[in-house]
Amino acid sequence: MKRTLKFVALMLTLSTGLASASEKMSLWQRMQPPEDIGTYGHLIHYLFNFTTYLNIFFFGLVCIGIFGFSFLYSAKRHKKPLYTHGKNKKEILTVVGIALAVFIIIDMQITRISAHDYQTVFMNFPKGKDVYKVEVMAQQWMWNVRLPGKDDVFNTLDDIVTNNDFHVPVNKKVVFQIISKDVIHALYIPNIRMKVDATPGKITRMWAEFTKPGIYEIACAEICGTHHYKMRARLVVHDAEDFVKWQESAQAIALTVNNPEEPDNFWGWQWKE
Amino acid sequence: MAFFEQHIHPAPKTFLSKYVFSFDHKVIGKQFLWYGIFFLGVGGMMALLIRWTLAFPGEAFPVLGPLLFPDNGGVVPPDTYAMLFTMHGTIMIFYAITPILIGAFGNFCIPLMIGARDMVFPTLNMLSFWLAVLSAVLLLAGLVTPLGAAAGGWTSYPTLSTLIGSPGVGQTLWALALFVVGISSIMGAINYITTVIVLRAPGMGYFDMPLTVWGLWLTAILNAIFLPVLGAGLLLLIFDRVFGTTFFLAGAAATSGTGDPILFQHVFWIFGHPEVYILILPAWGIVSDLLSFFARKPAFGAKSTALSMTAITILSTVVYGHHMYTTSMSPLLTQTFMALTMTISIPSAIFFANWLGTIWKGSIRFSTPMLFSLGVVFVFGLGGLTGLYLATVTVDFYLHDTYFVVGHFHYTMAASVLLGGFAGTYFWMPKMFGKMMNEFWGKVHFWITMVGLNGLFTGMMVVGYAGMHRRLYNPFVYDFLHKLIPINMFVTVCAIIMGASQIIFVINFVHAVFFKKENATQNPWEVGTLEWTIPSPAPSHNFDVIPVVKCGPHELGNPNLTSGRDFQYQTEELVKA
Repeated sequence: MKRTLKFVALMLTLSTGLASASEKMSLWQRMQPPEDIGTYGHLIHYLFNFTTYLNIFFFGLVCIGIFGFSFLYSAKRHKKPLYTHGKNKKEILTVVGIALAVFIIIDMQITRISAHDYQTVFMNFPKGKDVYKVEVMAQQWMWNVRLPGKDDVFNTLDDIVTNNDFHVPVNKKVVFQIISKDVIHALYIPNIRMKVDATPGKITRMWAEFTKPGIYEIACAEICGTHHYKMRARLVVHDAEDFVKWQESAQAIALTVNNPEEPDNFWGWQWKE
Repeated sequence: MAFFEQHIHPAPKTFLSKYVFSFDHKVIGKQFLWYGIFFLGVGGMMALLIRWTLAFPGEAFPVLGPLLFPDNGGVVPPDTYAMLFTMHGTIMIFYAITPILIGAFGNFCIPLMIGARDMVFPTLNMLSFWLAVLSAVLLLAGLVTPLGAAAGGWTSYPTLSTLIGSPGVGQTLWALALFVVGISSIMGAINYITTVIVLRAPGMGYFDMPLTVWGLWLTAILNAIFLPVLGAGLLLLIFDRVFGTTFFLAGAAATSGTGDPILFQHVFWIFGHPEVYILILPAWGIVSDLLSFFARKPAFGAKSTALSMTAITILSTVVYGHHMYTTSMSPLLTQTFMALTMTISIPSAIFFANWLGTIWKGSIRFSTPMLFSLGVVFVFGLGGLTGLYLATVTVDFYLHDTYFVVGHFHYTMAASVLLGGFAGTYFWMPKMFGKMMNEFWGKVHFWITMVGLNGLFTGMMVVGYAGMHRRLYNPFVYDFLHKLIPINMFVTVCAIIMGASQIIFVINFVHAVFFKKENATQNPWEVGTLEWTIPSPAPSHNFDVIPVVKCGPHELGNPNLTSGRDFQYQTEELVKA
């Protein structure tokens, strides 16, 4: 009985639409992705919206067909069906025309846009001294993060190693090199609309540039076992001044904490340019 | 064109030979139908448990929860949750949709529609069903092993599915079960392919076959080619688990040499992408036929529909890489797969235009099978178009492994296939069991299902676009997903509505099969394909005399007809002016 009541109460909260209670939001606001703080999120949104408009147009045509024809040609309204096999020239040309229109208007356009973005932005990895480098090792169920420290070389004593805690400077190109210790995970940063798999035995890469300081979330997007849902990390984007402060204190801590006798501390690898 | 005429065997007399170990394709079809409906119920119940957990994390599942999870106060525990979505996917694909669409309709319709007395290999056919039963036992046995059934997702990517991630014997049983069900499906597939080639009635060319048979035949071809690929992958996985090989092992635990976990993904998706077409092709075929039958006019461009389904069958084998964009494949490969994937929309658009052309200027009768067929056109339109987002690599970087993907593939694989299956069940019911299902409750079933289904799967896409990723026991540990709680509740309510409406179907079905008094007439829908030239239900040897085919399957609404009917049987010479 108590359970039934509880269920009814839950349904009621739902029907009033105030289930999360804390803040009032319109449905439209709830449907939006988290704030875009990267430099290439707008490319993804542009392509998404472009596809959406065209989809609405073509699905509108399908709906006009389904509902319009159902209305106009129901047995009550339209007693004598047209006897055609769809084989005459006009009918064939119409069908071919529709197929080509779909392919040329949607498919070729979105393929072109996506391939262009993919080559010039997503796969165009920043190189050189100015790049902020991060090594990531995923494991069940935690993110290990390694920064090269002041010598700019990985796997040395001055490396800054954190767990479930990513610190990056604002407006600087960041490259992540990612590997997994056990099963496949995926580094997912919703705020920049990007994810890449963390695979055991293979280093994968992803780059980003964060444009707004603040604290955000990082998730694991690939099923990795029972506690997959808890594999959450914090992403701190520092402004320039703040970042120097954080780096200095973290560096000082790292130098005292890192134990040269402990092989587990040296899971990093030589940076792959 | 039959290569030979099958003998008429005396009808079986004993209960065992008639209903259990039957060689009759119609009985085997019905066995698959019951089997599929049973698992549809099991998989659906699992779906409700999953949805409940997502909408009300930490709340006890009403009624069933305390019975199933007494140690956890009726709340689904996280490890069980992983088991649930794994088994839900596996059961729905291999134990519900495959048996209903391919096992039941394939077995029942192919010989009847091409004018044969049975499948060409009846023993193989019976074995195929009983292997499927064995496989179901193996799969369900996983549930009672100490660490529970498989919990690595239905894709079971290594190294999660190796001993590193899943030490329990349940995962091994899962792989074995799928291997066995694969053998069962291959047996069926070989049977279907051969039957269609050698047993078509005299006079029936390939393009005189109903499109249902086309869909089932193409499905069988894909099954025969690609299930062995899955079998190979699963066997290697079993080797890794049982014999200590390292085909798919890598990382810290791969102490005795390393393999490549990504290799499994390639093998899996070479099978896995054709698999989605394996599931949908029979539904496409059924819908193409039913639209014509109930619009009372010939199928628009039937030949081009058959050819575009063939084109999709071929293209489906070269696009699988779009499941793996985030694995960092070579950029050249990634872009090639993207371009190849896009070409699938040409044949898809052709048969979509043909479907709409079929109902254009028809004289549409809105019987239950027709409503479900129109439903398929609607939901597959949505499912197909949302695939475009995921096919473009850059958008996929954001949407990959989010609920957007879940919504998309449920629209194509669950919604379309389920509605197509219902359309077929309502349509062939008189020929299968000699009874009609109730039209009124059929329509109620359709409308409630449509409301629930669209709320459910559109809702999934909405939360996916907002960033919610898949397979989360409790999504709301993430702050950015907090605002999605009400939408998730809405989705769950829609799931409950959709689940509840299936009770109407089950009652309607069971009532028609066991309790209904009045028998169906020989040809209640007034269509001309071969199965309607014989009594309802079909006699055990189908055709007393093998029919001779003289015209196509969709000859309806011919103005030159003088017989008083508005259709003609395939055994009649085409009436010309």
